[in-house]
Amino acid sequence: MRKRKIRQALSLISLNTVFLALCFITLVPVLYAFLLSVSDGSSAFAGGGGPRSFTLENYRRIITEEPFLLWLKNSVVLSLGTMVLAMGFATTASYAFSRYRFKGRMKILFLLVLLNAFPQILSMFAIFRLFKTFGLLDSNAGLMIVYAGSMCIFSIWNLKGYFDTIPMEIEEASKIDGASDFTMLVKIVLPLARPAIIVTGVMVLIFVWNEYLFATTFLLNGDKYTLAGGLYQLQANDYSRSWSLFTAAAVLVSIPILIIFFCIQKYMVSGLTAGGVKG
Amino acid sequence: MKNRKKATPWLYSLPAFLLIGIVIVFPILYTAYISLTNMNLYHWNDFHLIGLENYKRALLKADSGFLSAIGTTLLWTAVNMGVQLFLAYFIALGLNAEGLKLKRVYKTLLMFPWAMPAYVSILLWKVCMFNSEFGLLNKVVTALGGTKLNYLSENVPAFLACTVLNLWMALPFMIMMIDGALQSIDASLYESAMMEGAGFWQKSIFITLPCIRPIIAPSAIMTAFTTFKQFDIIYLLTKQKGSLTGASIQTIITYAHENAFVSNNYGLSSAVSILIFGIIILFSVFTNRGLKEENS
Repeated sequence: MRKRKIRQALSLISLNTVFLALCFITLVPVLYAFLLSVSDGSSAFAGGGGPRSFTLENYRRIITEEPFLLWLKNSVVLSLGTMVLAMGFATTASYAFSRYRFKGRMKILFLLVLLNAFPQILSMFAIFRLFKTFGLLDSNAGLMIVYAGSMCIFSIWNLKGYFDTIPMEIEEASKIDGASDFTMLVKIVLPLARPAIIVTGVMVLIFVWNEYLFATTFLLNGDKYTLAGGLYQLQANDYSRSWSLFTAAAVLVSIPILIIFFCIQKYMVSGLTAGGVKG
Repeated sequence: MKNRKKATPWLYSLPAFLLIGIVIVFPILYTAYISLTNMNLYHWNDFHLIGLENYKRALLKADSGFLSAIGTTLLWTAVNMGVQLFLAYFIALGLNAEGLKLKRVYKTLLMFPWAMPAYVSILLWKVCMFNSEFGLLNKVVTALGGTKLNYLSENVPAFLACTVLNLWMALPFMIMMIDGALQSIDASLYESAMMEGAGFWQKSIFITLPCIRPIIAPSAIMTAFTTFKQFDIIYLLTKQKGSLTGASIQTIITYAHENAFVSNNYGLSSAVSILIFGIIILFSVFTNRGLKEENS
């Protein structure tokens, strides 16, 4: 009996060691980047030992010497705008697909999944030409259309899946009370579907916040850049000088996303799989 | 009145359909059209239809590079999915071991890469880990007395570097999925297996794996598609504009992107895009049927 207990304790100790090592390996790139961001550039890249002196100089420089705040503003405008656009359109559409039975309903739903299979990157060229013709290049409105459209199918499926779980009876009761379709949607269905709407909205927000390829291809003018575009540029420019700046910027950009992520963490897994489609 | 009722769902969906029409349907149709033309740098405006020439070039001429890109993509997907499922399974099993008190802490820490913005992670790895002058990996190597290695300049090391990074980014999701699936297994199954004297491997093969398979299949398939379509890692690590590292790994997505935006071979790139679309649809139909059969 005692032997077994010792064996169990030993295996727990080794398991804990394995997990500590695993967590360490997982966090090393992030920790190292953080260390670089708080050490002054010359000592960080001097080789040999690690970073030495602690300084917030890189953070000061990224905020004051680079257009970081402008990028931040652009990112916030773009991601909030896209979220409102995509969620507004997707909510009404998914409500229609969840509540009404009309001809071609299942066919369209299936078609949407099929369309979603076309990798977004491959449509960049066609959209580029289209936007060039209509003068939408280099504008926030153009990017918002691209982002909202890219997230629309995902949002429709995700929200429809959740609407389907809300019993119809609640709505029928208020219908008798004389509420119109639209007031019912706003006053009754939306509050009930809040978790799904929050998760879907946050997914749209994160998608826009993290998108760099369309942002750098479509925005030709530096002062429209988003954080992703700006960071990409910072890294692509002459490096040894801007790398410590880049790590500081990377930390700043990641923090809001990390906070949001860990706040909605428990919904993440179900929120991503309920609809069954992902970009 | 009745007509109005019929129109309502369409009215509700109209804005979304407009958006999808512009951003998704139009590009597909336009790409399909361009794939039949000779549009390239020299024929930017005066291109004309040339039939299936681009498809022939992509599929039949070995030097076009498309066939080898398909090979690389399949290898990339297979290696990544295999290693990912294998590692995630054992890590999730470890997390569910009896008496592991710090489970929640480990889980939160292991989730970290998932929460990081993908492009930030990739660029951080490029700058802080793989860089041959300042990267942490080479600092460790030189500290141990080795010579500096160049991780991204040749195909095989670059492929491995991309794989390591992809694992780092994708494992958390898979671990959480398997962890969730493990918790749904009825504990009494293990008890009776213990009575019969089953060992670790027997329990894994006869209880754990069959139980979690249907639960993790959808997310595994979803991940396989994401891996198949993976662009950012390979692009940002090895072929950024102006900082090519020397490796020439080409998956079908980077191949299509390069032909459109670097060598301006729009016709060929469009043909390849349509082929990729076809492959993905074929795969989806195939896997959907498989999933349905498993469930029934």
